[in-house]
Amino acid sequence: MTETAVDEALPSAAGAEPHAHGAPSHETSTGISNEKLAMWVFLGSDCLLFGGLISTYLLLRHRSTSGPGPEDVFDIPFTSVSSFVLLMSSLTMALAVGAIHRGDVRRCRTWLVTTAMLGGVFIAGQVYEFTSFVKEGLGYTTNIFGSAFFTLTGFHGVHVSVGIIFLMSLFVMSLRGKITQESAETVEIFGLYWHFVDIVWILIFTVVYLIP
Amino acid sequence: MAIVEQPTAPLELTTGTTPTRPLGVFTRPQSTTGWRSWLTTVDHKRIGIMYGAASLFFFAVGGIEALLIRAQLAAPGQKLYSADLYNQLFTMHGVTMIFLVVIPLGAAFMNYLIPLQIGARDVAFPRLNAFSFWAFLFGGIMLNTSWFMGGGAEGGWFAYAPNTGVTFSPGHGMDFYAIGLQITGIASLVGSINLIVTVLNMRAPGMTLMKMPVFTWMGFVTQMLLVFALPVISVALFLLTFDRLYDANFFNVEAGADPLLWQHLFWIFGHPEVYILILPAFGVVSEIIPVFSRKPIFGYPFMVFSGIAIGFMGWGVWAHHMFASGLGPISVAAFSLSTMFIAVPTGVKILNWMATMWGGKLRFTTPMLFAIGLVTMFTIGGLSGVTHAVSPADTQQTDTYYIVAHFHYVLFGGALMAFLGGFYFWWPKVFGYKLDEKLGKWHFWTILVAFNLTFGPMHILGLQGMPRRMHTYIEGYGFEFWNAVSTAGAFLIAVSMLIFAANIIKSHRAHKRNPVEVGPDPWDARSLEWSVPSPVPAHNFDVVPTVSRLDEFWHRKYQEDETGKVVRVATGEEVAQKGDGTGVHLPSPSYWPLVLAFGLPLIGYGLIFNLGIAAVGGVIVVLAGFAWGMEPADDPEAHALAHTNGHGDGHVALTEGAGDGDGEEPAAVPAGTASDEEAGSDD
Amino acid sequence: MPRRRTARRLLALALPLILLLSACASDAPQDTLEPKGPIARDIDNLVNPVFLVAAAVFVFVEFGVLYLVFRFRRRHQDNDSELPTQTHGNTKLEIGWTVLPAVILAVVAVGTVSTLFQIEDRESDGLTVQVTGHQWWWSFDYDTDGDGEVDFRTANDMVIPAGQNVELEITSADVIHSFWIPSLNGKKDAVPGRITTLTLNADEPGTYVGQCTEFCGLSHAYMRQRVVALPEDEFEQWLADQAEPAEMPTEGDAALGAELFATQCSRCHLARGINDEQYEEEGSGDDLIAGEAPDLTHFASRGAFAGATFDLWNDLDGDDIVEADEIGVELNRADLEAWLRDPPGEKPMAPESRGMPNLELQEEQIDQLVAFLETLD
Repeated sequence: MTETAVDEALPSAAGAEPHAHGAPSHETSTGISNEKLAMWVFLGSDCLLFGGLISTYLLLRHRSTSGPGPEDVFDIPFTSVSSFVLLMSSLTMALAVGAIHRGDVRRCRTWLVTTAMLGGVFIAGQVYEFTSFVKEGLGYTTNIFGSAFFTLTGFHGVHVSVGIIFLMSLFVMSLRGKITQESAETVEIFGLYWHFVDIVWILIFTVVYLIP
Repeated sequence: MAIVEQPTAPLELTTGTTPTRPLGVFTRPQSTTGWRSWLTTVDHKRIGIMYGAASLFFFAVGGIEALLIRAQLAAPGQKLYSADLYNQLFTMHGVTMIFLVVIPLGAAFMNYLIPLQIGARDVAFPRLNAFSFWAFLFGGIMLNTSWFMGGGAEGGWFAYAPNTGVTFSPGHGMDFYAIGLQITGIASLVGSINLIVTVLNMRAPGMTLMKMPVFTWMGFVTQMLLVFALPVISVALFLLTFDRLYDANFFNVEAGADPLLWQHLFWIFGHPEVYILILPAFGVVSEIIPVFSRKPIFGYPFMVFSGIAIGFMGWGVWAHHMFASGLGPISVAAFSLSTMFIAVPTGVKILNWMATMWGGKLRFTTPMLFAIGLVTMFTIGGLSGVTHAVSPADTQQTDTYYIVAHFHYVLFGGALMAFLGGFYFWWPKVFGYKLDEKLGKWHFWTILVAFNLTFGPMHILGLQGMPRRMHTYIEGYGFEFWNAVSTAGAFLIAVSMLIFAANIIKSHRAHKRNPVEVGPDPWDARSLEWSVPSPVPAHNFDVVPTVSRLDEFWHRKYQEDETGKVVRVATGEEVAQKGDGTGVHLPSPSYWPLVLAFGLPLIGYGLIFNLGIAAVGGVIVVLAGFAWGMEPADDPEAHALAHTNGHGDGHVALTEGAGDGDGEEPAAVPAGTASDEEAGSDD
Repeated sequence: MPRRRTARRLLALALPLILLLSACASDAPQDTLEPKGPIARDIDNLVNPVFLVAAAVFVFVEFGVLYLVFRFRRRHQDNDSELPTQTHGNTKLEIGWTVLPAVILAVVAVGTVSTLFQIEDRESDGLTVQVTGHQWWWSFDYDTDGDGEVDFRTANDMVIPAGQNVELEITSADVIHSFWIPSLNGKKDAVPGRITTLTLNADEPGTYVGQCTEFCGLSHAYMRQRVVALPEDEFEQWLADQAEPAEMPTEGDAALGAELFATQCSRCHLARGINDEQYEEEGSGDDLIAGEAPDLTHFASRGAFAGATFDLWNDLDGDDIVEADEIGVELNRADLEAWLRDPPGEKPMAPESRGMPNLELQEEQIDQLVAFLETLD
């Protein structure tokens, strides 16, 4: 829900700049626009969501009374590759933000699409991974490890998917001429979200796949 | 002293910012009067009023549940209704009072007051604000519809696993609990982000953080707690939902689960939650006591920092709810210590309120009586709280009526007392007339007596060894007399609240018959909300005030004379704004917050009963979200209109200087009256 | 009720004082302020001074506010244009009243932590009882010879030797419960999948009552427990008796009742020496469909039944507790018959999943069962 904050109001206590689309406001008390501040606060909140999920996973992963366990199903080389793909998408996201700050809408658009595609590859990898786990006998209800694993990585997957939807929306908006140098902050704010999701994945990848 | 006006900002409109209608089909609602306008309003004041009304409604629901509980416990061995129903009643009583009464009451006051106290025209995200309210309302209604769909939740508000799993709670009650609270949680989360940004970003010029009223400060700390505590309960509720609906194994002991996981997640949220409930009340009292003592709040920095300290320390005490769970002595000792020391900043607050009264000229109006009620009653709850921190003693006290007494002294004697006082205090600001003082005093004294009669004996019952959550008790254990007293007290509380209801009706009628102008500043108060007319006009401030010190409004009325003595230099009327500002641009109303919020409970019902309904809800949410993003910032046709004032019985008093949307720039506004300012726009 | 306790309540409760005076009228067997053993006394000794401090603060604040209200009230002759002195604060004073409570609390903290470890460090004097919570009754497993195997299992009444530290290893078979005998120690949760420990010690032989304090579902209010402390020699005798199987009655109603018991009750109840075979065959062991119900081998040696909800023997001295010397004297026939007639009517249960179903017994059968149960001493 809160993602809509990005599109939300642009009020300013003393501003005389009615409804400039997505343009940063310079009249706030902190100097940071409402949208960007809201995104930071939301991401802070989301940290606790993943904090809770990761703690749950750490507490439960070795408590299963039946198999299969992590060592039976994980394909670490495969997941490393898809993690790398997701990390690269942070790079392309940064390039998109850089481009729009320079006013290069065309290049920004290209990088946005690239980011979405990389995110899509990651999600496809996750879908493949999940199906292969199920084939190997680890379903959502199989054991406690299964429940904890699918919930944690599933929540992250949902975050990435929501991000892809927003990327596509930004892409469509840019086609309609709504993304301009003035509204660069909209892209930048979304970039914050995307980087956050990537950083969380690094954490999850370390905790879930790498730490035995 | 003349009002320091903010210099009129230069009008500078760039081309291309003209409101357009991107898809042609989305328009914004235009009505500003009538019941429809309440559904689409994005005005923080109207949303605050709706929060207040909804909370009072749920208070009645939770109160009836409480009366049924007390009726059953009036005598030993009674069988007025089944144990199952009793368990549902006490669960829903707790859930309702915490999530649907005290949290939203805080939200009501914060929504209405924070923008006014910091000199803003609205919150940062007006549509999100409306969404928060509707999501809370629909979530609350959904929770309560469980009564008609197989029974309410029966696992306690704390919902300890594994008793709340499908095996032990096979009905749908706990599903409603998990999903309903998830929805109200989304509402609170969105609301808290909104208010945090509002406080940080929307302050009037000169309003530094340390010039904000204590209420705004406490509200800010509350929102910070919410924003970080809610995701934790969200995780817990997700796990419970997945366990119940999709056979996950999070709390399945046979699959190796540890039931204490739920307790940790729940209380990591649950203890900050306690401060989420009480801090706004502390803020209310910190506004009332100085006004009626005619002195500034004693030790403003201490009040602020103790609130912040409570906010931080509130994260380190959760396991004191689990002293009997077998955590091991090291953890128990650590949490004992942290729990004891959180009493320090709370004690500072009590003493500072007393010091504020010291040397004052106390006027015992109804709000002041309720504020003093908090100081005296909360102290009792705080002291019994310290006895829980003594962990060996807590193993005797926990899960007995001693605890029930403790948290009712904190939440009823604390939070609710303050909010009732807040109603009396800000009622003239919100509605333009005062509540009847005589009935108000009856209300206060009856509730003070009734409250102590109800919850005081519970201390004794608890120390006599009566556990909580029992649908009945047996004779011969010394529980009979005090339970009977407590039940009598509970019904007296109901009478007292009826006096409150009568007061509202009577005062409203009297005002209709014979309207008396209360003026902007009926109590000779201190903060900025009193510097605008009562009821507050839709645009709040004709001109955004420039603030140079704490209690800015008061300092415009009182100044030091040559001898250094503080004397009155102006009346509130004289320095207050007239409410006739023009050219103020206000955010347009919107359908979509309501529609989007409506989709959420549908998804909830769908997950429980039929995925088809969930699909419908999902489609509504997605479409409403899309429409939200696509709707124009303003409806061009509505551009010449503005909101009505606070409670909808006024008419459009503003003329919009701006053009009609054809790209004309706003006409110049009359010099010296107002600048063309935004109260917050959309998109 | 002793005066001392009344006085403490007055201090502790911080309540309208007059109301409190009548608190002493009733007898409260679960009173938390009346320790009957060294551990509960440790807690009591710790909490008393805390109550005193709390009372002092209470008096200071409440009377302080009263004083302020009278001293600084606006008087009619006051000139409203005169403002009181505008004090904004006093940093020294405020630091003072930040530090002072912190110091007081630090003292309380020292006492708390030391008592906490003192209680935790108590070692068993030999006996360890495994306590298991069930919806809605407690079972107690005794391993008398220390070979790691349970020698016998009893329910509702836990028997311990007086004057000794007895260690309880507490767990649960279903949801979380909490074991609590207020006069002997604080409570400890019974968490499924975990074992928590609690030490009990009773000064004197006697019967100490308590009840489950963690909400455990439908019949939480009717989940009670009793601890019977016996003198050392009687306790040894009790152990020996309990280890024996029950004696099969050979004639009269009791014999018919035994037969009936074996056919009707074996799905859930075991009485060793009576229905071992049938229980082996029929007993589902499935905890969900009742399945695991109290072991009735020495049913009549206990003071209460049905989760200690009902007295099994009449309380002859009228103190609301069936003591060891009242067991076996005069059967509380009315409650026992009512129970057999319609268990879910006597105690809320969910017979399709939990608790004892109504077996639709004839009056004659009830008489026979009662006659049989009375022989299980």
